[in-house]
Amino acid sequence: MAKQSEPSRARSKLTHLPVVGPIARMDPWWWLVVIVIGLIIVLVTVRADPFWDILLFVRDGIIVTVIITVTSFLLVLIVGMFGGLGRLSQKPIIYGLSSLYVEVVRGIPLLVQLIWWYFAFPTVIQQIGRWLNIAALANYQANAIVTAIVGLVVCYGAYMSEIYRAGIQSIPKGQTEASRSLGMTRFQSMRHVILPQAIRVILPPVGNEFIALLKDSSLVSVVAVADLTRRGREFMATHFNPIEVWTLIALLYLVMTLFSARMVTRVEKKTHYER
Amino acid sequence: MEPIIHIENVHKRFGEVHALRGVSLDVYMGEVVVIIGPSGSGKSTLLRCINRLEEYDDGRIVVDSIPLDSAQDINAVRQEIGMVFQSFNLFDHLTVMGNLVLAQRVVRKRSSDEAQRVALDLLGKVGIPDKANAYPIQLSGGQQQRVAIARALAMNPKIMLFDEPTSALDPEMIKEVLDVMLALANDGMTMVVVSHEMGFARAAAKRIILMDEGQIIEEATPEKLFTSSSNERTQRFLSKVLQQ
Repeated sequence: MAKQSEPSRARSKLTHLPVVGPIARMDPWWWLVVIVIGLIIVLVTVRADPFWDILLFVRDGIIVTVIITVTSFLLVLIVGMFGGLGRLSQKPIIYGLSSLYVEVVRGIPLLVQLIWWYFAFPTVIQQIGRWLNIAALANYQANAIVTAIVGLVVCYGAYMSEIYRAGIQSIPKGQTEASRSLGMTRFQSMRHVILPQAIRVILPPVGNEFIALLKDSSLVSVVAVADLTRRGREFMATHFNPIEVWTLIALLYLVMTLFSARMVTRVEKKTHYER
Repeated sequence: MEPIIHIENVHKRFGEVHALRGVSLDVYMGEVVVIIGPSGSGKSTLLRCINRLEEYDDGRIVVDSIPLDSAQDINAVRQEIGMVFQSFNLFDHLTVMGNLVLAQRVVRKRSSDEAQRVALDLLGKVGIPDKANAYPIQLSGGQQQRVAIARALAMNPKIMLFDEPTSALDPEMIKEVLDVMLALANDGMTMVVVSHEMGFARAAAKRIILMDEGQIIEEATPEKLFTSSSNERTQRFLSKVLQQ
């Protein structure tokens, strides 16, 4: 008796277990965030020359990095959902196209992709424009920030597709059967039953993708986007103090990633607790 | 009288396994039919063919005058067929109320108020009116299965299918689920039940179907099956089940 359902019940009980201790106390890793911030403040105040100058110089780069990361990430969530659903489609064309997308994009380094979008893609568009005699396309100029976001979204969308796919597949078949047996369409079942549960499952890997995206956004510095990394290089070019510049830049990235990691953990625990 | 479920010479293969070998069965409005048989005999597969959770390869099934193989909209047919699973399959991310309301809202297009009223009424009927705001994980197996029954009933189905509804339950919880099913049977619901609960079969079934190796080998009233079956395979199966 009960052989089929016991393991799944036991497993779901484990994942639903309320996490009481760590929530009640402060997550000790927050101290690391505090320490790194403290370190930056000490450097900037004790040795204002050059640290304060560097910080002022790269300030707008921080904003650009945050904007690019957040915008890309929101778009990645959408692209990834469609990619993941496409990978599970029973229609061969949709499955084929989404699989092709995932496989091709995952096989090319992000840096090469970004360079392609910035240097090769506009030329392709211009050639097509000349060919079809459309002035708007023939005179197409790449906007650095838009191109950077497109490059990041296309690449991370492919990774995210696989995360969505795995998340959806992790939901027991019985959930689909129960919703379909109530007369729901495939879409309604996905929208109201499967995706809401899958999203909880994929929250940790999705959070990791955000942090990875934040770090990889430094690659956009090669395509003329004045992000944190590029601003650091620009400061370097005139002041020649690599130790100070790159130490401060590294610490600034570290603050952002550590802070994001803490937020991800918080969200995870919260959704577990509320289940 | 026209049967509400008409199954005619249905075959189903899973690769090499011939799960159903020409099954024919009629179920009439208001009837309770219990299907028994050893595991792997095809009884669950047959049940799942009735609402096309499983596609059959050959034969014909007509539910409520709609032939399943040519049904334009299988979802419309499924709205009329409630199904209760061995493993409950409640929606873990929703409260009990959410479980009962969801399909009423998105499939039956009922208003939120009406759906909640129906839900509360049914939760009363299955004996857990105070659990509306609990999550499935906070309920016992017996309570979860009663919620699952209420969720199916909320759609006002004409037929209820039960796929081993008590097999995943601890012994002390089996009765509370069977009592709900018995009340439902007494209310005149058309039910097809795959179960090994002989007590339930004896009390509720109009007919018992015994399946083995993908075929119906005997079909009889409970009294006849339990007391005077002449079929050798039936006797062998019954002696095993009743020993437990």
